[in-house]
Amino acid sequence: MMADFIDGPLWYFSLAVFSIGVIWRLTPLIFSKHPGDLSVPRESALAGAIRTVFSRSIPDRGSLSRVSLQIVAGYMFHLGLFAVLFFAAPHVLFLHEQWLGFGWTPLPHWAFILASQFAFLGLLMLWLHRVVNPVSRLISTTGDHVGTILTFVVMLSGCLALLQGFNELRLLHRFCVELFLIYFPFSKLMHTFTFIPSRAFTGAWFGRRGVRS
Amino acid sequence: MKNHWLCGRSSHLLLLIFVFILPLTYAMPGLSQTTASAENEGVLMKNPGAELWRNVRQRDSASVGISQVRSVDSGVLINPHADRWARFRVNYLIEYGLMTLVAIASLILLFYLARGKVRIEGGLCGKMVHRFNDYERISHWVLAIVFLFLAVTGLTLLLGRPLLIPLLGHKVFSILASASKESHNLFGPVFLVSLVMMLVAFVKRNIYARGDLTWLLKGGGMIGKTHVSGGFFNMGEKSWYWLVILVGLVISVSGLILVTPNLGQGRVVMELSHVVHVVAAIVLIGFSFGHIYLATAGTEGTGEGMKSGYVDIKWAQAHHDRWAAECHQQDLVISAEDYAKLQGKTNSTRDASSSADMQEAK
Repeated sequence: MMADFIDGPLWYFSLAVFSIGVIWRLTPLIFSKHPGDLSVPRESALAGAIRTVFSRSIPDRGSLSRVSLQIVAGYMFHLGLFAVLFFAAPHVLFLHEQWLGFGWTPLPHWAFILASQFAFLGLLMLWLHRVVNPVSRLISTTGDHVGTILTFVVMLSGCLALLQGFNELRLLHRFCVELFLIYFPFSKLMHTFTFIPSRAFTGAWFGRRGVRS
Repeated sequence: MKNHWLCGRSSHLLLLIFVFILPLTYAMPGLSQTTASAENEGVLMKNPGAELWRNVRQRDSASVGISQVRSVDSGVLINPHADRWARFRVNYLIEYGLMTLVAIASLILLFYLARGKVRIEGGLCGKMVHRFNDYERISHWVLAIVFLFLAVTGLTLLLGRPLLIPLLGHKVFSILASASKESHNLFGPVFLVSLVMMLVAFVKRNIYARGDLTWLLKGGGMIGKTHVSGGFFNMGEKSWYWLVILVGLVISVSGLILVTPNLGQGRVVMELSHVVHVVAAIVLIGFSFGHIYLATAGTEGTGEGMKSGYVDIKWAQAHHDRWAAECHQQDLVISAEDYAKLQGKTNSTRDASSSADMQEAK
């Protein structure tokens, strides 16, 4: 009964909320009209946009010593999560069989384990920094903590089900993913989709004025 | 006719006796010989399979045979040490492990009931001094969280059969055990990394120095009522730190041996690693009970250091007087108001000032 609900209606509901929610959040960002910039461009806005998309991934030298932990932990978490999400064998198989009709070479088991360990350690350090550092703690909202905890729970439940021997553990993981998908569009987790347009917009704005960003 | 009948009947009887008794007369010497030899030498006819199965079972010691499979222990059909290890696990590790943890928890509870919370004389004053930076606290909490997770999952695997199966049943426990095993193996190496982080963060201040032994001999102030002098870390904290690092390394190395069975280690090494892993983990879990107790219910003001990074100066004077004196000398003590500002706990002040500004504007 519960299994059917998680595998059936709740799964499709969460997918619908996720898809519609993400489109609803992105549409105004993409199609909103800005007053035209009539000034003569000093440099290419496109070049500025592309440059900024990448340059913002490189830590600033001036503040590197103060934010090194966040930089290292941030890379560990995001790269680890990306690897686990798209290259874990069960995920590749799921996408192949359920959605895409094709697959790709998954990570070997040891690499998957290593990637998930990176992701767990990175996320744990990032969240602890949020809680421990007074400035981060002040600027953090309840939504930030909920998003972090949900991400952690999704990853953890996936790892609990690694043996793939119990359907109950698979259902637990899927249920956590469904909660995550429903929460996603209403939270800062949306930065998954907005970080590139956001950087590009800023880069284009500065690039047009000949300012490095 | 009558005589003839008798004669006939007698002849039949004699024939029957002859048929049944005669073989017995042949068999009797053999029978008697067998009984005699059984008494003297045991059964002569050996079970032809007994020899084979005795060799297969290798009760005396493992003998290495020849196998097409090329790997460690592939020539050993049955490992006789495994039985000993399994019995040791069930009869000693589980039983004594559980007893040890229950005994430590009970002792701590009894101590708390007898002594109560160790308060700072005159109470805390609110003036604070910085003790741990963000990196140190993050290292501590990463280690603590991962350690507690591994302790819970590890104890589930160790004590699940006698404790959890009667409570949860086989089905639920099998799911829990599978989840515990997978997550325990996954988080084990994370524990090693957090151990290295902890080593880097605190090693300099945990080198033993003069005066540490005095602290130990006086039981850190728990024995008697005399004050015991201490630096940034006292002898108890230093010993706990080295215990975590060294026993943690033992747990990590033995755990890595267990989690990577294809690296060439044999079964006996795996069995020994398991025993070392469990014993070391029980030791560390037991001591961690004491650490958690002292940081929470045991002593006043201790936990604040790892929460905010600051401690009350009176707490520092009570437990680390030499370090507190240094802080006074270097003018590092800040007021309660400054501490509140640093922690962003001035909402009421900010709200009050903003409402005052609004009234002025009106």
